[in-house]
Amino acid sequence: MANLRALQRRRKAVRNIRKITRTMELVATARFKKAMDRASAASAYTERMARLVSDLAKAGLEVSHPLLEQRDVQNNAVLLVLTSNRGLCGAYNANVQRAAFQRHQQMKEEFSNLQLEVSGKRGISAAEYRKIPITTPYTHFEDKPTFAEVETLANRYLEDFILGKLDRLEVAYTRFVSFGKQEAVIETLLPLSSIGGEEVDEEEGAGVPYEFLPSIDSILEEVVPTSFKVKLFKCFLDSAVSEQISRMLAMKRATESADKMIKSLTMQYNRARQAHITSEIIEVVGGSEALAD
Amino acid sequence: MAKLHCVVVTPEMTVLEEDLDFLVLPLYDGEIGLAPLHGPMIGRLGYGEMRIKQGETTTRYYVDGGFVQLVDDQVSVLTNHAIPAEKLDDEDAKSQLNAALAREAHSIEELEIRDRLESQARAKIKVAERYAESQKRF
Repeated sequence: MANLRALQRRRKAVRNIRKITRTMELVATARFKKAMDRASAASAYTERMARLVSDLAKAGLEVSHPLLEQRDVQNNAVLLVLTSNRGLCGAYNANVQRAAFQRHQQMKEEFSNLQLEVSGKRGISAAEYRKIPITTPYTHFEDKPTFAEVETLANRYLEDFILGKLDRLEVAYTRFVSFGKQEAVIETLLPLSSIGGEEVDEEEGAGVPYEFLPSIDSILEEVVPTSFKVKLFKCFLDSAVSEQISRMLAMKRATESADKMIKSLTMQYNRARQAHITSEIIEVVGGSEALAD
Repeated sequence: MAKLHCVVVTPEMTVLEEDLDFLVLPLYDGEIGLAPLHGPMIGRLGYGEMRIKQGETTTRYYVDGGFVQLVDDQVSVLTNHAIPAEKLDDEDAKSQLNAALAREAHSIEELEIRDRLESQARAKIKVAERYAESQKRF
């Protein structure tokens, strides 16, 4: 029976796909762990940074810096969208894109000169499909974005912002909340809303008489751009972690449904085989009975 | 003898975490030496050479701006990059210097940006040279 062979072939194909998805799941798990390690290494830096800022605040620092100022007239804006270079990671890219392109529509009305920058092949092809012009595409941010790479990008934004060529920078990315939750968000990075991120408020130890070298203002001058760079870097890291989690879960689900499919195909195959045998026996019995008569 | 507990972190990783005898850091306007029992301070780092002395050995790093915070013999060095001096690329730094010098600057802001790039490149070259010199002596 031809049906039998077709079933067998399909079962084999599903089995092969299962092998691939299973491997991809394992690879994603390994990458996720690495990305997570990098993210926690970065948090060692941000924690110290937050402590430094809170110590500065205790010393009576007046926070004012060009990067923190809201401009009255805003014409030039950049929307940076962080997607992945590779697919097969569930709704990861779709979620960021949905949020980003919606915001893009709104921003188009607000700003006369709006630029769209997209990182990741997936986002680039999605924008092309929707016929949204991309100013600058990036594909070199893989799953391990280095600080040096992000810094060059950050330096360009900082330069443009200080020179007045840029009034607002928004980043659409997937924020890593917990292992079970990642959400696509849009964050305004320039002008900066706050420095130091999550403020650590510790009452104890207040009033250590620090000596500031060269001066508290000079330190602030450096703190603000640095905290912007770190924030941008964190966006990239979060995206990388979320991508690996999404891929891991997507591949896990794919493997599971492949398992189910193999089961049902095996059952169908066995039934078909049994039916085949039965009909053959009936033929033999029928034939012998016909001869006996 | 008291020791300084020193932690050097970059956004990418913790480069160094150990107890040491003496630490020299490039501040924004000159070098500073930190020994145990130093008073609490917060400083802005410049581009230059960080030297770590532990017993008889001195280790050299290039640090790329950032901050230092010191309380109770706990030093935190926050910097964008901390590169061991032997891994510095001299050629790369020189090409960065040339690129910085070739930049046109028409306003105060642009001048500042150029100066920053220039001093960064010059510091890298200097650290690399000093490292080469220190190797010759042995």
